[in-house]
Amino acid sequence: MAESADVVVAGAGPAGAAAALVAARAGLRVVLVERGPFPGSKNMYGGVIYPRVLDTLLPRWWEEVPVQRWVTRRATMVMTGTKALTVEFRGEDWDAPPYNGATAYRADFDSWLAGKAADAGAELVCSTTVTGLLRDGTGRVTGVRTDRPDGDIRASLVIAGDGVNSFLAKEAGLYEDWSVTHFTVGVKEVLALPREVLEDRFNLTGDEGLDIEILGGTQGIPGGGFLYTNLDTIAVGVVLSLAGLRDSGKRPEDIIAALKDHPAIAPLVRGGELKEYSAHTIPEGGMDGMPHLAADGMLVAGDAAHLCLASGIWLEGVNFAIGSGALAGETAIEAIGSGDTSAAALSGYRRRLENSFVLANHRKLRGAHKLILGKRAQTVYPELACGIAQRVFTVTDPQPKAGLRRWVHDERKRGGVRLRDIVKDGWVGWRTFG
Amino acid sequence: MGVPRYIAAALKWVDLRPEVDPLAGTVRHDTRTSGLSLADAAALEWALRLGESWQLPVAAITAGPPEARAVLRDAAGFGPTRLVHVAADRDAPSDAIARALAPLLAGAAVVCCGDYSADRGSGSVPAFLAHHLQAAQALGLTSLAPEHPGSLVAQRRLDGGRRERLQVSAPAVISVEPGAAQLRRAPLSGLLAAGRAAVETAAADQAPEYGSRVHLLRTTSYRPRPKVLAPPRDQLPRARLLALTGALSERMPPRVVRAAPEQAADQLIGYLTDNGYLG
Ligand SMILES: Cc1cc2nc3c(=O)[nH]c(=O)nc-3n(C[C@H](O)[C@H](O)[C@H](O)COP(=O)(O)OP(=O)(O)OC[C@H]3O[C@@H](n4cnc5c(N)ncnc54)[C@H](O)[C@@H]3O)c2cc1C
Repeated sequence: MAESADVVVAGAGPAGAAAALVAARAGLRVVLVERGPFPGSKNMYGGVIYPRVLDTLLPRWWEEVPVQRWVTRRATMVMTGTKALTVEFRGEDWDAPPYNGATAYRADFDSWLAGKAADAGAELVCSTTVTGLLRDGTGRVTGVRTDRPDGDIRASLVIAGDGVNSFLAKEAGLYEDWSVTHFTVGVKEVLALPREVLEDRFNLTGDEGLDIEILGGTQGIPGGGFLYTNLDTIAVGVVLSLAGLRDSGKRPEDIIAALKDHPAIAPLVRGGELKEYSAHTIPEGGMDGMPHLAADGMLVAGDAAHLCLASGIWLEGVNFAIGSGALAGETAIEAIGSGDTSAAALSGYRRRLENSFVLANHRKLRGAHKLILGKRAQTVYPELACGIAQRVFTVTDPQPKAGLRRWVHDERKRGGVRLRDIVKDGWVGWRTFG
Repeated sequence: MGVPRYIAAALKWVDLRPEVDPLAGTVRHDTRTSGLSLADAAALEWALRLGESWQLPVAAITAGPPEARAVLRDAAGFGPTRLVHVAADRDAPSDAIARALAPLLAGAAVVCCGDYSADRGSGSVPAFLAHHLQAAQALGLTSLAPEHPGSLVAQRRLDGGRRERLQVSAPAVISVEPGAAQLRRAPLSGLLAAGRAAVETAAADQAPEYGSRVHLLRTTSYRPRPKVLAPPRDQLPRARLLALTGALSERMPPRVVRAAPEQAADQLIGYLTDNGYLG
């Protein structure tokens, strides 16, 4: 006979764990199903968690969350074939609670968050894969099927937190507008360095950490790169447009190798021993790739709902996963409380997302990925910015300094950049980010 | 020992993927990668099969730190009726473990163990256990066939590729090789119930000594076995010596193989052969 629960959550990633935590706290019977041997065992990402979303969910979370380093410096590097221009910000108060970001290993972080859900009463079942949906005669989702003997679980509500390319959302017919252009692929190497070497090299003390997002450096394939510091490892990787990668005929590991050879990166990774190589798809179409978020008896959260910002200079997803998961949990409490888990009754989920940072950010940055992954932002403007920076910092004695206007003009001419395009992109950029 | 009342699985909680610092040799353990070794999983499977075959209840027992209870929860997913944890150090010597377990295993028809644990175990716990329980012992089994209740036929390896078949009568302690059985997959209901199952914590009452005339005086520290490497191929003794010691040669940097699958496989096999891992 099938097991039964109020809520079944598929996937104990950040989205699933947050959903399970919120629903279990309200006293619902929650089963959290994870295919890996423990939460986080199968998960990869760049490495930084932006934790504001935890403040209300788990007050004073920083006292126990397993982190590698607190991010006290954030840098954006604009890169051409041989040049790089870096803007770096250091926030002294980022090294104290409530912190702005932390590097963490997913095996540690996901286990911790799922542990919180289990402490709240959710039943965590690992090494178990959800293989499909159970439905009644009307097509309403009534539970899930797993790969265990007698593995069906009936539930009033299923929350799909099974990550990008969610099989459950697909099976429920929620992805209407699936396109390869809505995805990037992230590839990452973890390189080990002795802690003292790492701290000397990156000018870090104690548990301070640095994150660098990189624009350019992807061999002309739309995307970006990143380099994050852990205690005694660094994560270096690239995020590449899937369609761009396909069309280039290049292999992702070659793109990382080239990034590591770049004169601005090579000294940072020198001597690092390769500990891990991993790759994962990222939903980055934002609002454009978003599936329907609810079906009768089912909600979708996190990457499964394409709630991720990974357009070159951003790599944020864990925070959106936790935020959307928690709101799915709240919606579950409301719907189960009222005895109605139809898609109409679950529409409060979207409203909650709209009223939170999750959809507000996605809405605001809706056009960002197109702008950032466009040819001009990827190659033309980095050349322009690096060219101008080089002129600004070059001492031309005995020639007098030509002045910024001249330098900009000359570099623009050299790169064939039309003023019209700069103004147009500036306007779009202002509207997107302003 | 009285009338056999149940089958027991004596399980050890070990780190299946410990991290060893290559310089200091210190070992770092992680509870998330710890659990049942394949041999202990095979032992649990045989305990379940014997229980089914002889219609006896199955108990699971472990000695170890509090985290070791995890293996009992794993076992609980398959339905053992009794779960017993005995507090012990992770590295307690075999005889101490056996003496702590023995008083709790009185009355077991068969105690099933893995042949030896994945953390450099010597396989001696089952032997000590049999001694303390005054039970028959049949160790390192590759296969078993239960007969009428209390009797089974088992097979184990001998040197030179030979096998021997044994008729074993309860009460007995057996240990099985990892390949003796594959642990079945726990049903979902079992897993969910396992989370709520009660684990008894037993005091480590030591079994009495049966007048053993051999006493452990000291155990020396672990020395890994030397690894046999292929000799260097150079003709000149000096070149061979340099190759052997690695002097004057750069450390081999990590290399990513980029090639079509067939060539990549050739390169990998070449690398492993050159470095003495194959043949
Ligand atoms: C290269 C890369 C770099 C990134 N860098 C960052 C970063 O630095 N910061 C950041 O915030 N975000 C980053 N992200 C994005 C972030 O990883 C995701 O947005 C986030 O992990 C989404 O969480 P989730 O819970 O929705 O999905 P996931 O983290 O993918 O979790 C899904 C879970 O479901 C389980 N699962 C899947 N299918 C099943 C099934 N059928 N049955 C049972 N369980 C199942 C999986 O094992 C997994 O545990 C990065 C992503 C990539 C790929």
